[in-house]
Amino acid sequence: MPSKHVLVIIPAHDEEESLAKTLAEVRAKAPGVDIIVVDDGSKDRTSAVARAAGVPVLRHCVNLGVGGALQTGFRYAVEHDYAIGVQLDADGQHDPAYLDALLAPVSEGRCDVCIGSRWVSSTGYSAPLSRRIGMLLFSGVVKLALGRRIADTTSGFRAYGRAVMEVCQHDFPKDFPDAPLLIALHRRGFRLEEVAVQMRHREAGQSFYTLGKKLYYPYKNLVASLMALLRKPA
Amino acid sequence: MLFLSRAQVITAFAAVGLALYVLDLVRRRKLSEEYSFLWVVASIVVAVLGFSTPLLRGITHALGILYEGSTVFFLGLAFATATLLYLSVKLSRLGQENHWLTREVAFLRHEIEQLRDRAAAGGEGR
Repeated sequence: MPSKHVLVIIPAHDEEESLAKTLAEVRAKAPGVDIIVVDDGSKDRTSAVARAAGVPVLRHCVNLGVGGALQTGFRYAVEHDYAIGVQLDADGQHDPAYLDALLAPVSEGRCDVCIGSRWVSSTGYSAPLSRRIGMLLFSGVVKLALGRRIADTTSGFRAYGRAVMEVCQHDFPKDFPDAPLLIALHRRGFRLEEVAVQMRHREAGQSFYTLGKKLYYPYKNLVASLMALLRKPA
Repeated sequence: MLFLSRAQVITAFAAVGLALYVLDLVRRRKLSEEYSFLWVVASIVVAVLGFSTPLLRGITHALGILYEGSTVFFLGLAFATATLLYLSVKLSRLGQENHWLTREVAFLRHEIEQLRDRAAAGGEGR
């Protein structure tokens, strides 16, 4: 696999505590890949930490949300001619040891998006009850729309092929790239796959999913999923 | 023109006052012509209804409303709802534009940093 064609996109919002460790881990476990950090309006030293590690940084002057950060990463990947972009959280939840497993289906042309899933097989991840209910609900919505099951619709550990990134750099859900994104990608004819990964608990920092967003999230995702179904793929 | 009630006169003058205030905001560049249009049209409608009892009665009757005051309230509420919806649409578009700009700035800043680094490296090499 030509891993020099792989760009690991790390959206980071106030992640100075865990970012250095995450970057070091990616370098140690996947030495061939390039990394870009998208600092999504951090108030702390996130950008400085990335630069100190010798990683290029794209810095949003205001917080756009994880979707906006990813979109920036996609554009960078397309402009710099990467074949595959991997979304990886800055907080240490995602183990770069799984990068090869995640990349293989995309680089071998078996799919356009590969999702690192906590639920494909028993992976030892335990989520809070409210999150489990949400995950089940949106798994159901995605199943209805796609006609097949995607076990982990909210996983933020994904590999995207170039064609997907080309589309997504222009058109992407702003805040939560979960069920609505999967539906929109499916409607455009992209193939989705899942591979089993283990996820760890966050090392430090704040999750993108704060309390206000927890209440808004189900509503927004339902409406956005419905719209993804109703809209004609461009 | 028929006899005007006190409420009608107050409503009509308030509407004229609002229109003048809106136009003054435009003069002082605090409000754009685009948004002032909505408010001026709304105040003209209210002022006309306030001064013209037969017109207000006619509309009230046509809408099947029993009391003239309710017609004014109804029209006001319809206007407020339409305005809020219009502003929400505008806000959404502004949000999208902001989103786009923020990302554009991120790229430009990145390019400047790269150019600076390259210039610094070139300076050291000499």
